[in-house]
Amino acid sequence: MAKKAAVALVVSLCGLPLAVLAVLSFAGAWPFPDVVPSHWTASRWLDVLTGRGGLAASFGVSVLISASVALLSTVLGFVTSKHVAYHPRRRLLLFLAYVPFALSPVILGVCLLYVAIQAGLSGTVAGVILAQTIFAYGFAIVLFQGLWSPRMRAFEDLVRTLGGSTWQLYARVLVPLAQEMLLLCFFQTFLISWFQYGLTVLVGGGQVKTLTLKVYDYVGEANVFYAALASCLLIFPPALLLWANKRFLFKAV
Amino acid sequence: MRSRSGTLGLAAFFAVAVLPIGASLLYALLYSVGLAGLLAEGFNGRAWLAVLGGGEIWWSLILSVWVAAAVVAAGTALGLALALGFRTDRDNALDCGVLGYALYLPLALPGAVAAFFVFQMLTGGGFVARVLLRLGLLSDPSRFVPLVTDRWAVGIILAHTLLAAPFLALLFARLYESERVDELAALSRSLGASRRQSLWRVEVPILLHAAGTNLALLFIVILGSYEIPLLLGRQAPQMLSVLTMRKFALFDLRQKPEAFVVALIYTGLVMALIAGLFRRGRVDG
Amino acid sequence: MRGISKSFGSEPVLADVSLAVEHHETVSVLGRSGSGKTTLLKIVAGLETADRGELRLDGRRIDAVPPQTRGVVYLYQEPLLFPHLDVWENVAFGLRLRGVGGEDLNRRVREMIASLELEDHARKRPHQLSGGQRQRVSFGRALIIQPALLLLDEPFGNLDAETRTGMQALFKRVAAAYRITSLFVTHDLKEAILMGDRFAHLKAGRLRIFGDRATFAADPEIGVMNEVHFWESLVVRKVPS
Repeated sequence: MAKKAAVALVVSLCGLPLAVLAVLSFAGAWPFPDVVPSHWTASRWLDVLTGRGGLAASFGVSVLISASVALLSTVLGFVTSKHVAYHPRRRLLLFLAYVPFALSPVILGVCLLYVAIQAGLSGTVAGVILAQTIFAYGFAIVLFQGLWSPRMRAFEDLVRTLGGSTWQLYARVLVPLAQEMLLLCFFQTFLISWFQYGLTVLVGGGQVKTLTLKVYDYVGEANVFYAALASCLLIFPPALLLWANKRFLFKAV
Repeated sequence: MRSRSGTLGLAAFFAVAVLPIGASLLYALLYSVGLAGLLAEGFNGRAWLAVLGGGEIWWSLILSVWVAAAVVAAGTALGLALALGFRTDRDNALDCGVLGYALYLPLALPGAVAAFFVFQMLTGGGFVARVLLRLGLLSDPSRFVPLVTDRWAVGIILAHTLLAAPFLALLFARLYESERVDELAALSRSLGASRRQSLWRVEVPILLHAAGTNLALLFIVILGSYEIPLLLGRQAPQMLSVLTMRKFALFDLRQKPEAFVVALIYTGLVMALIAGLFRRGRVDG
Repeated sequence: MRGISKSFGSEPVLADVSLAVEHHETVSVLGRSGSGKTTLLKIVAGLETADRGELRLDGRRIDAVPPQTRGVVYLYQEPLLFPHLDVWENVAFGLRLRGVGGEDLNRRVREMIASLELEDHARKRPHQLSGGQRQRVSFGRALIIQPALLLLDEPFGNLDAETRTGMQALFKRVAAAYRITSLFVTHDLKEAILMGDRFAHLKAGRLRIFGDRATFAADPEIGVMNEVHFWESLVVRKVPS
């Protein structure tokens, strides 16, 4: 019985943020000290669904940025992590790969902004994608280290002696064997990008409005209902993905 | 063949991971000593002296370490309680049933959203104050002690713990399987350990040891966190990332070199921590 | 191959190794682990480079030829079947790399699977096979591309004694049928004698070659006589009881 109560408590605590934010996003007005909103409205959600207001566009920009970052860092990470893994100075290279990952995104952003300005990329979507990719790439390198075992290397040698070219090696053997890990990496780097705020603010110069920026914009304007709506839009895609693919989260943490 | 593609692969690695960061850290260093930037005044140590001589960065550092340590401690305690408390003899409850889904929900929360949620709950006019009023546990709204922008950074710690505890619970549950803790616990019982002894002398130490690297990385991530303290922290002291950003974004351009000083100090600190992890072989190298 | 030498750091692994393998013959190389045998095979396959010495195949220098065009297949102790492909596709792998398709591919794969006695398992995945079956698929995958030279690195090392005996017989039969040229490395004395047409002994990076079975068996370093004495002593002791 006590256990049942404990489960109920944990479940409701976990569900509370989503519930509260969802309620807020539908609230028409919620004066103090009411415990529930005094009236409701779906107009904000209808605006999003019909593309009015800035939120639908922000959602699109966020998806574009996160998908690009995930794709870039997964592909680059997959191909280059192999050379890091087999390199005689592997530990040193891995240490270097950890540096962007461990630097606070804000600290990294403050430093990277100069490079982005020099490259003419500050304030652009491309600049944000590149900056986030640098951040996520280190993560991909570290994640893929689990893949490159002596066994993988033996497979590689075997394919070569059987007459396979580098392209055939990747297309017919390495990619199929690494399928799970590739999906896991794509998923995780997508989330890293999706949740990102500090780097985006700095390198995007406030011009690239992803959903996380929108949340702070609305909070700054004391517009809690829209902040809640933006939060819901931020939560639901990863929540859906996580529910559908629990296995992708913990394989290689 | 192999060596040529290997060189290419490593070149890409350096181009993406090492070069931009090396260049930007070098720029930060030059800026901090007056050799780069809009107001480059020629080599001087003013920004370094101002930062190291003033109290602000030290309070910032103390606050950041306090928050990170508190979150790691609270998250570990809660995570262990969840992972061990809901275990039955035969299976791992965190993997199945409603609990298995519920614990994944907070993992879908970005820091920004967690901060906003905690803000909505714990301000003077927030949800918790309203519920307490309704239940009659609070007589006067003004007597509610808000837990945001508070002295001990409770709001920040709560928001981070909301994200960290489920993650650690799932991690511990997974380690329980992979480290074969159940077999070792059974062994200790057969050697005469009581249930309590088995828990504290076998199960918990094994899990903590196995999770060591993850806990250290969590500490580093929270140390440098930005979104949550931005919304829930006070004006002073601020956590390191918030302080850096403020000094960086100020209109007073003379403060900018100081932002780079803070950034460099933070970077040095974290890299020393990671080097320590590597030296102890905790990071798989 | 002539005068092959290789060192890792300051440690010499192979010293001046020379060996000629004739068409359609199997040369057994007896060597303990650490004798340099894996390094030797990897050099021949092109997966490692030698510090000194030269490799020729049919009179042509192949030192600089990359492994994928060398025509030398190297088989590990572990069968290393592709887990994402079934038996049929594992065997067909090398042909597909070469763009062979259609009825030609079907016929050759079918024949190979038949000669390996794997007809009932063609659509199985590697994890559904026994150790001996996996090793047979691994042979088929190598033999089907008719390599100029097959290198075998303890191919039966992971098998139990009974399966091992069966595999030795099967390999001899298939090698003869497909007229395979191979270098067979093993640490097992009996296996070396069974499998080889000619023999060599690799010890501490130095290779000694023996013309025939009798001189190989008679050499005190090989240890055949020790084995004989061991079994004889058992028999002698047993007789009085």
